[in-house]
Amino acid sequence: MITLFSTLLVILIVAGGFVAVFSKKLLSSVISMGLVSLGVSGLFFFLQAPDVAITEAAIGAGLSTAIFIIAMKKIQKGGTSDDE
Amino acid sequence: MMSDTPEMVKKVFAIFVVGILIIGFFMVFTQMPKGNEVNVNNTVSRFYVMKDVDHATQMLDKGTYFNKDMVPLRNDVPYTPITFGKSSNLEDGAANVVTSIVVDYRGFDTLGEVTVLFLAASGVMLVLHGEKRKIPKKKIAPSEIMYVGTRIAFAVIFLFGIYVFIHGHLTPGGGFPGGAIIASGILGLFLGRQGYSPNKAGLTVFESLSGMAYVIIGIIGLVGEKSFLANFLPTGTIGDLFSAGFIALIYIAIGMKVGSELSAVTNAMIVDTEED
Repeated sequence: MITLFSTLLVILIVAGGFVAVFSKKLLSSVISMGLVSLGVSGLFFFLQAPDVAITEAAIGAGLSTAIFIIAMKKIQKGGTSDDE
Repeated sequence: MMSDTPEMVKKVFAIFVVGILIIGFFMVFTQMPKGNEVNVNNTVSRFYVMKDVDHATQMLDKGTYFNKDMVPLRNDVPYTPITFGKSSNLEDGAANVVTSIVVDYRGFDTLGEVTVLFLAASGVMLVLHGEKRKIPKKKIAPSEIMYVGTRIAFAVIFLFGIYVFIHGHLTPGGGFPGGAIIASGILGLFLGRQGYSPNKAGLTVFESLSGMAYVIIGIIGLVGEKSFLANFLPTGTIGDLFSAGFIALIYIAIGMKVGSELSAVTNAMIVDTEED
């Protein structure tokens, strides 16, 4: 069961990585990077490293995704001249 | 993946992701052992919990706990058997092996790690922090549900972050993830309130004080035990909340420092700086 779930997680990570690289929209890339972090933290948990899993889930999937999105919004705001 | 991804591909991918999350959620009920059935000696900390060489040698002869191939490293050091919840006055006393290495035996490395995070946060503040600041107006004001919900969730998240770093020596976790959890709670407050701004001076003072507390604890160890960041408190019974000496103190300091630092970074990212 755990082997099956780990396989699914690895597929999720690879698919998320492909979306992050090849997606034309930046938002999709950032969200799928968060997804990759979530899958990696699940794998860490199965590899008996719960400390690293908690840190990866809190920082990789939570905070850094949010900070990327905020930075993206700021860049778009500064980039276009006729924003509201 | 093209920019105009077909709806079908998107839906299949979304169903795949949600399916994996649902399987993982329900695996908890089938795969996790019940609390009273957990044998601590079978977890990853087994060799740490049983540091006793004589006892291990006996068990090696009987072939109960250890593999047949495993040879004890030292036969000349007499150890007493270490059992979870009973043994007291150990060298380190933390039930979580990772924490005992990260904070106790390699505490100086962790001080460097905290410094790295501090420098990174300082860089962000240096670039983004201006004198004139205006809090951005949201185009759509957060609804009442969002406002109330984030406030309730903030209390729970804050409490969980504090739990994670106070119990760093007993359960997985510690100062860094605890602080990050607290900072994500603050991020939720930003999302749910119109024009929310944390107390900037409070964050700065909090962060500096907790950073100083780490060094002061280290200096107390230098004075009392003749080594920087030496454990100067009694280690207590393994598995208790008040055990493992100064590990809990240092993790509280690190948790407060990381939490206020990451909150300040989030604040600097969200709040607009007015350009001259």
